[in-house]
Amino acid sequence: MTKKGIKRIAGKFGGIKNLILILLAALWLLTLLVDTLVAGRIFTPLGYLYLALGIVFLIYVAWPLYTSRRLVGYYWQRVKVNRLAVVGLVFILFLILLALIGPLFTPDPTAANFEEKNTPPVGLSIEESIYNAETGQFVTKVVNGTWGHPLGTDNKGRDLLAMIISGAGVSLQVGLLATGIAVALGTFIGVASAYLGGKVDNILMRFTDIMMTFPFFLLLVFIVFIFGPSLAFIVLVIGLTGWTGVARLIRSETLSLRTREFISAAKALGASDGRIILAHLIPNVVSLIVVIATLSIPGVILAEAALSFIGLGDPAVTSWGMVLRAGQQSLDTTWWVAVAPGVMLFFTVLAFNFVGDGLRDAFDPRSSV
Amino acid sequence: MKRTLYVLLLAIIYWYVAGFSLLLFHSPGVVYQSNEEAPKPAKEAGGVFISGTSAGDAETLNWILAADSASFGYVGHTVDSLVTYDNEWRVQLRTAAKDVEVSEDGLVYTVTIRDDLRWSDGSKVTAEDYVYTLRNLMFSSWLNYPYQGDWQEEVGGKTVFVTPGVVNETTFNITRQTVDPEFIYTVRNLIPYPKYIAVKYEGDVKAFTQAPEFNNLTYTGNLGPYKFKEWVRNDKFVVERNPDYYLGKDNGAPYFEQYIIKLFGTSATAHAALEARDITYTGIDPDKVSKFKKMAGINVYTVPTTGYLLLAYNQRGNGWEGLKIKEVRQALSLAISKELIIEQVLYGFGDPAFSFIPKVSPWYLDKDMTKYGVKPLLDKGKAKELLLNAGYAVKTADGSIEVRSKGGKPLTLTLVTNAGNDERENVGYLVKEELGAIGINVELKFVPWATLLGKYLKNKVPDTDQEPGYNNGVGAVSEEPWDLMVMGFSTNPLSPSGQDVFYATKGGLNFPGFSNPQVDELFKRIKSAEALDEKAQKDLYAELSQLVSEEQPVDFLAFQLANVGFQKKVKGIEPGINMGYNYHLWYFE
Amino acid sequence: MGKAWLRDYIIRRLFYAVIIAWGILTITFILVRVGPTSPADKYLANLAARGEEPAQVIAAIEARYGLDKPIHEQYFSYIGNLVRGDWGWSFSTSMPVVKLIETHWIYSFQLILFSTILAALIGILIGMYSAVRQYSKTDYIATFFSFIGISIPNFWLGVMLILLFSVKLGLFKTYYDTGIPLLSLANLKQLILPVITLSTGMMAGYTRYTRSAMLDNLRKDFVRTARAKGLPERVVIGKHVFRNAVLPLVTIIMFDLGSIVFGGAYLTEIVFGIPGLGRISFNAIFADDYAVVVAVTLISAFLILLINLATDIAYAYLDPRIRYD
Repeated sequence: MTKKGIKRIAGKFGGIKNLILILLAALWLLTLLVDTLVAGRIFTPLGYLYLALGIVFLIYVAWPLYTSRRLVGYYWQRVKVNRLAVVGLVFILFLILLALIGPLFTPDPTAANFEEKNTPPVGLSIEESIYNAETGQFVTKVVNGTWGHPLGTDNKGRDLLAMIISGAGVSLQVGLLATGIAVALGTFIGVASAYLGGKVDNILMRFTDIMMTFPFFLLLVFIVFIFGPSLAFIVLVIGLTGWTGVARLIRSETLSLRTREFISAAKALGASDGRIILAHLIPNVVSLIVVIATLSIPGVILAEAALSFIGLGDPAVTSWGMVLRAGQQSLDTTWWVAVAPGVMLFFTVLAFNFVGDGLRDAFDPRSSV
Repeated sequence: MKRTLYVLLLAIIYWYVAGFSLLLFHSPGVVYQSNEEAPKPAKEAGGVFISGTSAGDAETLNWILAADSASFGYVGHTVDSLVTYDNEWRVQLRTAAKDVEVSEDGLVYTVTIRDDLRWSDGSKVTAEDYVYTLRNLMFSSWLNYPYQGDWQEEVGGKTVFVTPGVVNETTFNITRQTVDPEFIYTVRNLIPYPKYIAVKYEGDVKAFTQAPEFNNLTYTGNLGPYKFKEWVRNDKFVVERNPDYYLGKDNGAPYFEQYIIKLFGTSATAHAALEARDITYTGIDPDKVSKFKKMAGINVYTVPTTGYLLLAYNQRGNGWEGLKIKEVRQALSLAISKELIIEQVLYGFGDPAFSFIPKVSPWYLDKDMTKYGVKPLLDKGKAKELLLNAGYAVKTADGSIEVRSKGGKPLTLTLVTNAGNDERENVGYLVKEELGAIGINVELKFVPWATLLGKYLKNKVPDTDQEPGYNNGVGAVSEEPWDLMVMGFSTNPLSPSGQDVFYATKGGLNFPGFSNPQVDELFKRIKSAEALDEKAQKDLYAELSQLVSEEQPVDFLAFQLANVGFQKKVKGIEPGINMGYNYHLWYFE
Repeated sequence: MGKAWLRDYIIRRLFYAVIIAWGILTITFILVRVGPTSPADKYLANLAARGEEPAQVIAAIEARYGLDKPIHEQYFSYIGNLVRGDWGWSFSTSMPVVKLIETHWIYSFQLILFSTILAALIGILIGMYSAVRQYSKTDYIATFFSFIGISIPNFWLGVMLILLFSVKLGLFKTYYDTGIPLLSLANLKQLILPVITLSTGMMAGYTRYTRSAMLDNLRKDFVRTARAKGLPERVVIGKHVFRNAVLPLVTIIMFDLGSIVFGGAYLTEIVFGIPGLGRISFNAIFADDYAVVVAVTLISAFLILLINLATDIAYAYLDPRIRYD
């Protein structure tokens, strides 16, 4: 396989980047097929989604960033100036670290320990009463928070801190994956539809209409029955229901962009449709994409909570949504169970938002950073 | 002076005439065997009683179409059954003039209804209405009454309906060909449809389903304490006081202007509503009881229920083969502490169960029952010994017993229950803990209800295209393998023999696949002429309880206690298993 | 103005809408009928308590509602009735489907309408202010609050509001009273807490999108021109900048309004006891009441399609540069 030979093959596919993309995609598909047919478990369903998104990210985000390192350095300088964005970034990195290393220092989040149920966080105390059927009286004892369970426990005695840390990993994954699917699909279809217009717009938009009206919830009930509940299905369903909104939003923005002078200028210079879309249109809708993405993440996590609420969630996985659901019944007594994930969610959303703001400001050529 | 005398004379004549006419119309033939206290002095009716619930809404007011219990509950406010029971199971007459009479041979049931019952158009409610409801509606093939099974019997291998017949205007009888000592409970629950309206829809199930008279309960006359007012689906069911109520003639009952059933989406919001005094009554979750007991204006009553939690043992082909052995099941039950479960899961609101008959049942007899799961039959050491004897453990060098599967590997069992039911999930965790202490590893699997039904309960003989059912015989297995399942059942305390659906070999809901010919035999005898004698029936039930407590088809865990909260201003409540029986006498202070 | 092409466009879209709606109807029908749940499943507990044989009861129920007929027969008879205006009978609530939807849609609608209006108004105003004073203290406070809004789950916030304002302070009733006439002040009062609960979640979107779109435009040349012309800042922002930023907001507003039938307010309805379409459709799904499920899905499909069409037309009017052809 000489360098020239590779280049020739690559040329047939439209470039080395496309060749690698197709090779990786084929590999992914092959592994998936083998997994389903032979029923081995090379990767979990969630793992496959990760890989797919990872491939897309690699080819369309990481590679361009790598090849234009200088540009990346320039943008990073602009982002660095925005202190809040950096704080947000640090928090996100901290969350990732927490999700990776935290489980090593905390007890198993699924370990139920009924003796220690309903313990409040450290420093607080609560009364617990057990009824004695023989005497008809209550036996009351005071339960104090301990450092053994710094954030307290839920009604099954599971350590809340452990659940939050485990949930960080899961919710981040779910949030990023589902948002990734929705945003990637939605942006692609929205921009292509608006820019290419005419028949393509018609077909793509009717397809979006069908997806918007499709009874995904029913499908989820059906799928959960056949295959059992799994986080991957939830991610897929949330992502697939979400992209239509993104597509319409991006399309509306692109519609007004495509009639602008800089687009007609690029066209006049002979730029191909693909290049116009990738190099000119998408960067201009980046700010919208960033906002959509930051707002979607909490929405996704809450959607996952709602689905667990109804009973379609994956009971084997501890996510913030699951903790929220566990805590909602006793908000007036063991309130800490619902407050902890809510607070974490809030800070996560805030962090993503600040990072998004920073990115948007950095990309906007007109802002004086 | 003359005027006053004149008025006084008129008054005396009036009362005399009134009293005389009352005597005339008060037929001496009607005997009231009520155990009620003397009717309370007439009160001023007033106030709106709001009952909060977070269980689901009813399906229909056309009760003959309903299979859910909420529908019967709603209709029950507007139409009384023949009799009801107080907390000690004493018969309380309602639309019946006297209790249902059973002939010596147990084959003929005679019902006499009151003669002062009227439909809404003023016409008399007669025996003909009851017989028509039975024969033309409940037994018909065009209407498909879901509970036809209650009125059928096996004669010569065929399933036939019992035979109702009119005797006179207020009397009808039901004739059987086989004896069923518990049939009387079914008869006592009868409520009638008005024949003069039903004939209009006879034969046309669609018209009957949509009949406005039946869907709006416009026919109920004086048959119930309340009259239907409105039903906003998923929101509230409203009935208003029926001034003509036949039981309210002397005392003016009921004493609430309106009775509303308000539906809540979660129990948390129902609790909040009671706390804010926006509703009068609701059920209280076990972990909130102490909080409500402390509230100044609220009374919380703890009452027994007929629901029980259990751990099912899969005795079919796809479960652990050890579960087919009685001693192994006993061993597991020896290791699981019922009091621990009651304390940790039910917050103390439970009664350890050893058979399916609750303490509140008149047939409950404690004697000679094997009480696994409580001391002294709560012994993890003994459990391991039993397992050793059955071949599922080995003795190690230092003399301790290690539980193993037949192949010598550590034993792992799968426990399934439905996700989302906190109580059952918690029991699952505790069972895992208890069995873990004797060396059995338990894997927990929480699945959605539909999956539980479809893949774990329903079974069929493998490699056939049999339609999956809840008990397709000995060779049938469920689609997914399982060993233990946490479930909740409910027993009819008056006729516990109905539990044969679970524990008889051919029982329609015997999904674990338990089979014991002695148990089957006892169930048969309880449903036969032998049990017509009350003492005999009690003995039979005692024998069945003993047998079942020893055989351990499932590990009976606990009968749950329920907690109900009322605003203090409600008077007349008698807490107990049937506390609603006198609700028409409750009033606000 | 030359919008003749718009008329043809609308007709074409309506035609597609009918086809798509019919397709969705068929898919939903199939999903519900071949789904794993059966109408008799939920009676299991009751049957068991009464000691009944489930097979017999299930057969009786299915026979009565025609659920044992082959599926294509059921499908065609359903379609046949549909075109004649008969949407079927809901056996899980014993009401005609039309009447069921008719009675309950208004509760969802008023909730979502008021929530959307409130969220949009406040959200957009905050967003605008936030953009103009980017990175100021007010900006941060506004960001802070809008994000609390979406990080707090509906059911959590709703229950907290009830516990605080209805139970502890006694200002409101703990549940929604359908007895109160819809067009009254009392009804508005009892909608306050549910609307606050629902709109806080929606508000963040309006705040962030407005801010972002405004920021995009604030730096454009035409703003400098307008300012140079001497126009008051209020006009510059309110008229010129905002106009250009409004397109994505239109999308969101329409989308939010259309979520009546999605059951988007489902959780809020549950918490406050509002018998809206969200609860009706969810209960129908789990009761296997196909008539209701298909009807609701069909209506929601039509609604979405119409709203998308309306949004597209709005774009064409708001931005004269846009054409669809």
